[in-house]
Amino acid sequence: MPTAGTSVVAAAVTSLDTTSANNTASNGQVEELYPIALLMDELRHDDVAARVQAMKRLDTISIALGAERTRKELVPFLEDVIPEDEDEVIAIAAEELGKFVPLVGGSEFAPILIPVLEKIAACEEPIVREKAIDSLNSVATSLSDEQIQQEFIPLLQRLAKERWFSLHIAATGLFKSVIVRVPSDMRSELLKMYFDLIQDDSPMVRKAAATELPEIVDLLGERFNKPETVGEFHWDIVTSMYENLVNDNQDSVKFLAVDVLIAILAFLKRLGDKSHHEELFESLLALINDPSWRVRYMVADRFDKLAQNFDDDGYTLKLVPNLLSLMKDNEAEVRKAVSKQLPGFCTLANKADRSIMLEDIVPVISQLSMDESETVRSALASEITGLAPIFGKEATIKHLLPIFVEMLKDEFSEVRLNIISKLQVVNEVIGIQLLSESLLPAITSLSNDKLWRVRLAIIEQIPLLAEQLGVAFFDEALGQLCMEWLWDPVYSIREAAVLNLQKLTKFFGEDWCKEELIKRIMEKKQTKDFDNFICRITCLLALDKLIPVVSAKTVSEDIYPFVNDLKDDQVPNIRFNVAKSLASIAEKLYPEYSSIVTDKIRPTLERLQEDDDVDVRFYTEQSLERLSKLLTNSQE
Amino acid sequence: MDLDSDVQMEDAIEQQDVSETVAITNPTEEDEDEDDAGMSNSLSVKQTITSTIVGDDDSDEKGVISRKPIEQVPISTTNPKTQIDTLDAWIEQLSQCKPLSEDSVKELCDMAIDVLKDEENVQPVNVPVTICGDIHGQFHDLMELFKIGGPCPDTNYLFMGDYVDRGYYSVETVSYLVAMKVRYPKRITILRGNHESRQITQVYGFYDECFRKYGSANVWKMFTDLFDYFPITALVDNSIFCLHGGLSPMIETIDQVRELNRFQEVPHEGPMCDLLWSDPDDRGGWGISPRGAGFTFGQDISEQFNHTNGLSLTARAHQLVMEGYSWSHPDLVVTIFSAPNYCYRCGNQAAIMEVDENHNRDFLQYDPSIRPGEPTVTRKTPDYFL
Repeated sequence: MPTAGTSVVAAAVTSLDTTSANNTASNGQVEELYPIALLMDELRHDDVAARVQAMKRLDTISIALGAERTRKELVPFLEDVIPEDEDEVIAIAAEELGKFVPLVGGSEFAPILIPVLEKIAACEEPIVREKAIDSLNSVATSLSDEQIQQEFIPLLQRLAKERWFSLHIAATGLFKSVIVRVPSDMRSELLKMYFDLIQDDSPMVRKAAATELPEIVDLLGERFNKPETVGEFHWDIVTSMYENLVNDNQDSVKFLAVDVLIAILAFLKRLGDKSHHEELFESLLALINDPSWRVRYMVADRFDKLAQNFDDDGYTLKLVPNLLSLMKDNEAEVRKAVSKQLPGFCTLANKADRSIMLEDIVPVISQLSMDESETVRSALASEITGLAPIFGKEATIKHLLPIFVEMLKDEFSEVRLNIISKLQVVNEVIGIQLLSESLLPAITSLSNDKLWRVRLAIIEQIPLLAEQLGVAFFDEALGQLCMEWLWDPVYSIREAAVLNLQKLTKFFGEDWCKEELIKRIMEKKQTKDFDNFICRITCLLALDKLIPVVSAKTVSEDIYPFVNDLKDDQVPNIRFNVAKSLASIAEKLYPEYSSIVTDKIRPTLERLQEDDDVDVRFYTEQSLERLSKLLTNSQE
Repeated sequence: MDLDSDVQMEDAIEQQDVSETVAITNPTEEDEDEDDAGMSNSLSVKQTITSTIVGDDDSDEKGVISRKPIEQVPISTTNPKTQIDTLDAWIEQLSQCKPLSEDSVKELCDMAIDVLKDEENVQPVNVPVTICGDIHGQFHDLMELFKIGGPCPDTNYLFMGDYVDRGYYSVETVSYLVAMKVRYPKRITILRGNHESRQITQVYGFYDECFRKYGSANVWKMFTDLFDYFPITALVDNSIFCLHGGLSPMIETIDQVRELNRFQEVPHEGPMCDLLWSDPDDRGGWGISPRGAGFTFGQDISEQFNHTNGLSLTARAHQLVMEGYSWSHPDLVVTIFSAPNYCYRCGNQAAIMEVDENHNRDFLQYDPSIRPGEPTVTRKTPDYFL
């Protein structure tokens, strides 16, 4: 670090000394300010990391110095040293300076920050430059219109006229702060300046200008959309800029034209003006048929938005053949992007002409569902269920269901998962009965999928299916499955299965639970599996979760004896879960079956209190607390 | 300690970047070499800054850089009840991948020393237990491990070392495991790996990560001082011998391990070093390890060792295996590796081994966790907007 900092550091320290001298009584304040001296030292530290840390606390230093000395000493100091420092330090400084307007004494003095930020904005490192631009933009918001004209516009002019690409890029980022705040003649001058940037020799500058243009168009459109002000939009310059981008020889610039088109269309939509649609559509066609796939990707990725902003059924229908050609594009990324746009665009297309969906679009969707690229199929799978509400019940059954069934058999698990996890919307359209009839075979085969997240997704659909299917059909089709998940090797599946049983009991009632669940868990006890600790703890947790949803009678007759039998299990983990469970059982049984609580559960817990294992004792202690709370509360 | 000594060598994947000497006196010195395989150097200051500046969406990463951490939970170590409440609060915070404050780490390490100093060099462990291998700072995959194997304390765990380095969340990972150890000392056992060492952590990321997240090396020092107390091996029900690396030519019986003084930095040679560094090999007998520390040992050695000590199996970690587990010497030595997609790039599965109370063994394999906010598609959309 250069030594120019010394004087400021010294000044900060002196000012601290005076502060402490004036407030000899308040030691607290001295302590509070003491680290600032350290921070100033760290600004000159040899280690970059230390300077970064110090720079992050620039505001603290400024507050200590006060507004005037910040203006007179700190800002010039920074202006001197910053451009020499490492990029990471400059970046932090740039960011901090954006918050400095109040610290230099309010907007009146804000322009003082411009020179230092201008120096930083000249930096070739994009990250640093962007920070400086952001900060300049935020400084601009606190400037008065007069200050903008006197201080900010000259800055823009300097940056844009300098013959260095980095400065031109910096300039492109600043127009948005001022474009609607300046008088009319200055605005057209600014836009002409921007037009030059759009045609800059350097592709990097053109790219930056094209990236910022949509926001500028939006700002103009928001402000000047009344008949009397619409001239201020400068339609001719804006569209010329757009034309230039569409015809740019670099595809990395050209594809940015798509967002500009959307912004222009949005403006026209606001005006209700469709007179330019024809020529704009022609330019869009050129982009859709561009030889560079990146340009086509951009159109595909924003297809729905484009159609919405044309806001015209005629043009929506004109777009359909283009949609189809993008769905058949030979670049997978394009097909993937356009797949994501299907529900949105199809809503519009369907509004324009119902028949077009079935006749033209569905056959291509069906093709896409068998695409050679798994990422395309996966993208389609995550969106295709969204088409059901658009199709309506009959068409969904006839045209979409077969595609779903095929995709559920996809060899790539993500495709299957994406379909399953979004079945809810299909259910709303065609009803669970039909859905389950056609999809049950697929669901059953997925219940043993080797990916546990696929199994989990299936389990999560089960309560929904159960509620709609009714007991009889459910038992036959899915009852067995629900029990099998309890013995899954993956804990999360077992956990989900346990919760699933609780939910099913809520729908199907206690008798069903006793017959189908509790009885089967009891049967498990007789098998060899029960020698395994995981099997025992799963049974225990399953029954524990059933306690709240069955009657006290069932708990006392079925659940309590089972849990109680495990109290002497050789595995401590089982014993402390028994201890936990016993408290829940007691809370359920009391006072109806108070004798079980006081004569059986309490002595059991008291005995577990003496267990060898510390965790068994800990959880028993907790359960005994719950128990005594239960008993005293009821006596009151 | 000899300040100029070379750092010992690591797995094959690590070999390319260990040739240089580490200046232990000035570990903050930035490493200029581009580290091809490791994550440690690529996380150096420059990159850290960049990711803050870009306004990286990954809020974890961002939050971690500013020296903000981290609220302090008050504690009174005299009252066991508040101690448990504090630990539970820490575990809750850590389970969201939020690091503890420096003061909390200090208290945690003090408590952990109290627990670990009384454990044995060969810590006895009961069945049922789930045995796990390297984690290497892959915090989210550690959470995935608990989703697969079941939560602690309901499930008992034995971890065989290498909690830190390589991954982005070494601090959170080791804090979490140590907090669990203090909270449930009987339910979880944590052994020492070769990365639980002052020297290795200065090269492979833990040191840098601590410095980045806490602004000083204090937390690194607390943890590496604590590592000296970790037990170096475990014996599951007198039948499965568990350790990080492998056997040593200077150790014939488990009793000899019991006689070692383990309360020290992992030495460069000798039995304690070997236990943390050795690898099984297809060739018989003892061989020179390409890692530069420990040995390779053949099937004959494992047979002899298991027979002498009445063992059914030796379980160890330390090596990347693509299926997550791998039998080195059939039925004698198994390697378990629990960091899926190691270093976020190796494409391997991870595994854990469940041993039930009847000594049935079950291997569970798993893939990397799905991180919230990240696309599930493995292939990324090309970045058009750079």
